[in-house]
Amino acid sequence: MTDIIVFFIGASLLLYVLLGGSDYGAGIIELLPAGTFREKQKHVINEAMGPVWEANHMWLILIVVILFVAFPTIFTTLMIALHLPMLALLVGIVVRGTAFTFRHYDAIQEPRSQRAYTLLFGVSSLWTSFWLGIIVASLNRGTINLEAATFWDAYIAPWWGVYPLSVGLFVASIFAFLAGVYLISETDDAALQRRFTRHAAVFNALVIVSGGLVFAASFIERESLPSRFFRTPSTIAAMALATLLFVVLWRVIPKRNALLTRVVAGGQVALILLGWWLLYAPDAVHTVQGPLNFYQEAAPHATMLQLVIALLVGSLFIFPSLFFLLRVFKSKQHPSGD
Amino acid sequence: MDNLIAARATMGFSLGFHIIFAAIGMVMPLLMSAAHYLFLKKKDPAYLELTKMWLKGVAIFFAVGAVSGTVLSFELGLLWPGFMKHAGPIIGMPFSWEGTAFFLEAVAIGLFLYGWKRMKPWVHWCTGLTVGISGFVSGIFVVAANGWMNAPAGFDWIDGAAHNVDPVKAMFNRAWLHETIHMQLAALQAVGFAVAGIHAFLYLRGRAQALNLKAIKIALVFGASAAIAQPFAGHFAGQRVAELQPAKLAALEGHFKTGPRAPLYIGGIPDEDTQTMRWGIPLPGMLSFIAFNDVDAVVAGLDQVPREDWPHVAIVHVSFQIMVAIGMVMALSGVLFFVFLKRRIFPHWYLCLLVLFIPLGMIAIEAGWIVTEVGRQPWIIHGIMRTKDAVTPVPGMVYHFYLFLVLYLLLWCVTGWLFHRQIQAVQKKFEDVP
Ligand code: HDD
Ligand code: HEM
Ligand code: HEM
Repeated sequence: MTDIIVFFIGASLLLYVLLGGSDYGAGIIELLPAGTFREKQKHVINEAMGPVWEANHMWLILIVVILFVAFPTIFTTLMIALHLPMLALLVGIVVRGTAFTFRHYDAIQEPRSQRAYTLLFGVSSLWTSFWLGIIVASLNRGTINLEAATFWDAYIAPWWGVYPLSVGLFVASIFAFLAGVYLISETDDAALQRRFTRHAAVFNALVIVSGGLVFAASFIERESLPSRFFRTPSTIAAMALATLLFVVLWRVIPKRNALLTRVVAGGQVALILLGWWLLYAPDAVHTVQGPLNFYQEAAPHATMLQLVIALLVGSLFIFPSLFFLLRVFKSKQHPSGD
Repeated sequence: MDNLIAARATMGFSLGFHIIFAAIGMVMPLLMSAAHYLFLKKKDPAYLELTKMWLKGVAIFFAVGAVSGTVLSFELGLLWPGFMKHAGPIIGMPFSWEGTAFFLEAVAIGLFLYGWKRMKPWVHWCTGLTVGISGFVSGIFVVAANGWMNAPAGFDWIDGAAHNVDPVKAMFNRAWLHETIHMQLAALQAVGFAVAGIHAFLYLRGRAQALNLKAIKIALVFGASAAIAQPFAGHFAGQRVAELQPAKLAALEGHFKTGPRAPLYIGGIPDEDTQTMRWGIPLPGMLSFIAFNDVDAVVAGLDQVPREDWPHVAIVHVSFQIMVAIGMVMALSGVLFFVFLKRRIFPHWYLCLLVLFIPLGMIAIEAGWIVTEVGRQPWIIHGIMRTKDAVTPVPGMVYHFYLFLVLYLLLWCVTGWLFHRQIQAVQKKFEDVP
């Protein structure tokens, strides 16, 4: 029972990073100076993200709901110890969601307000993905301490440090990289395609650099990460494969095969996530008092059963409709709607 | 402001903000589908115009509803970890089904908004209807979760922990039925009247009158029917509350002393210190009748409840009065709508009235939730757990409160401004249409 639910958490996380992540990345890309491309780029991003926007963000809500239904102690521990980063994340989510929608649906489209929306969208995308990284990094550092006596130890120390900071950067780079790759085949304009390709390349480099930074930081902080890493061959394999795929990716991109490019880039990110997961599973969170494990913290059996039923029945509805959504919008032969 | 008050205030206004968008998000898609249906059936382009107009509203309000809902799902843990630790698994069932319904809604809205030229007309219509239905269903699920807080069921509370959890029993608790019926009607009537009011305004300004009249009719067929049913649903809710939460009932009526032939007060401000009602007009026996269908029945007053278990009597009573007054006025104007619909003529004063009524339904929704939620205090789970035992240990919640206050006020302003521009654009478009 727990296995199925943990699988759903993992799958939702992956889909959130892949789908929601490219939305974040699009915002980050829009922050970069674009000169004459600005309008065209905005149009492409609106067209590409608009239809799937709401659906992409449901994965995060799904994770939250599964956590509080099935693993209430894990949920409340995180919400107490990481109160501040969660708050920062929420502010970002609110600003992003509204800026993106308002930009599209403002009845009077004038340059001044449009620029303001775009700026807000970009800044909040960067901000939110950064905090998302900080939260993820704090899960397994072992610095969460619910019995701490001081404000600093209880609510700041769990997420403060070079390591979470560099994971924040790493996540933002991954998102921007995904968006770059994703957007290449969303436009027919050759110049814009070249631009997105260049972005993808730059952020690809950044992913590698900030990934290195994550390692370096964890050495500096004497986290458990490095020693754990070298003791987990499956993680090493996943990371090696992910790195190898970079080479494949840059051979695939010039071929202009949208699907293949996306599969390779997505596969890379999936491998990174998988590596991280294998490193710690089945522990979800590490606290000063010890790890919180999915199996030990699970809700009563009756609850888990109901949740599994809801998730499976939900999947019966959601996956076909999601597939339908993608098919309707990603088939190229139609002119743009709305 | 202490931590508990700050957390309660934050929760209160986040929910108060969300509920408006949620109500719109539940009902606008239904109105839109109705207009779209009429277009597909009658091929009258006016209905298509309406569908597209309402669709913009759906998109904007849906997005704000979605982000404010995301905030809520985090806030349950950020503000009330003591509650969620126990309640999460018990009320998980409605929340997980709600998640499913939301998901479907989010996919369907993408299809509907962007799929005009990409699907067969009736398939496209179905996606719009799916948005409406799944929004409506998800509303039912969340409110059922709230019902559990008022009438906890489906577990045994032993030594401060829940045992023998039964999520199905918890979901179908004793309060879920009256709360969901009442809430869904409330959403229908509040949004129906607000939409009708906006179109009445455009009509009175002389813009595209034929179109606006059509809009008023669609919106009020939903709104007025709900408004007429609402007092009955409210009466049903009152009876359930009398049975389940006597302290809440006593507070909402400002009823201090237990006794037979209990009076119902119109207006008035209850004074907790002297335990009397000031300035209210009593209708003897009416409260007994409303609560138990018998003018001579004994109704428990607040004197039966330990003082520390009283909710804030004045807030609950005044909110209740506001809700009921609005309910009566709206039910009446609902009846008038059907009369005028039958006569095929809407008098000028009635349209002016509709404009005045734009905010009424929303005010009643807010007032109703204040009755329910403040009336439940000091309990977060009625009779089981106190709100003060559930609040987060994180200090300095005041800052959290101010941060969100500013954020939400800004969001209000921007949404209002955007909506204003939308109406401006509509007006401009119809400048010369008769
Ligand atoms: C348009 C909105 C609206 C209108 C016109 C009314 N209500 Fe209401 N009322 C609500 C909107 C609402 C609500 C916001 O939807 C509440 C809050 C929680 C709930 O289930 O419904 C509510 C709660 C609520 C409760 C508390 C239920 C509980 O705590 O479990 C009672 C007793 C009533 N209502 C009674 C009435 C009566 C007698 C009305 C007479 C016309 C009435 N309401 C009109
Ligand atoms: C959307 C409509 C709702 C509104 C406007 C609303 C309003 C409020 C208000 C004003 C408070 C503060 C009460 C006080 O502390 O005096 C509150 C508290 C709370 N509400 Fe609601 N509520 C709504 C629906 C819900 C639902 C559906 C749930 C849960 C399933 C819920 C859960 C809570 C919780 C956990 C608290 C904090 C604990 C407490 O104060 O008892 N609310 N709400
Ligand atoms: C504690 C209380 C609540 C929580 C945690 C909550 C959570 C959420 C979440 C996460 C979303 C976003 C879903 C999406 O992206 O589509 C949402 C939207 C929505 N909520 Fe709430 N909600 C609460 C109270 C309510 C209440 C009381 C109602 C209705 C009676 C309601 C009705 C809706 C609807 C219809 C939507 C769809 C979005 C829209 O149409 O605007 N919610 N809510």
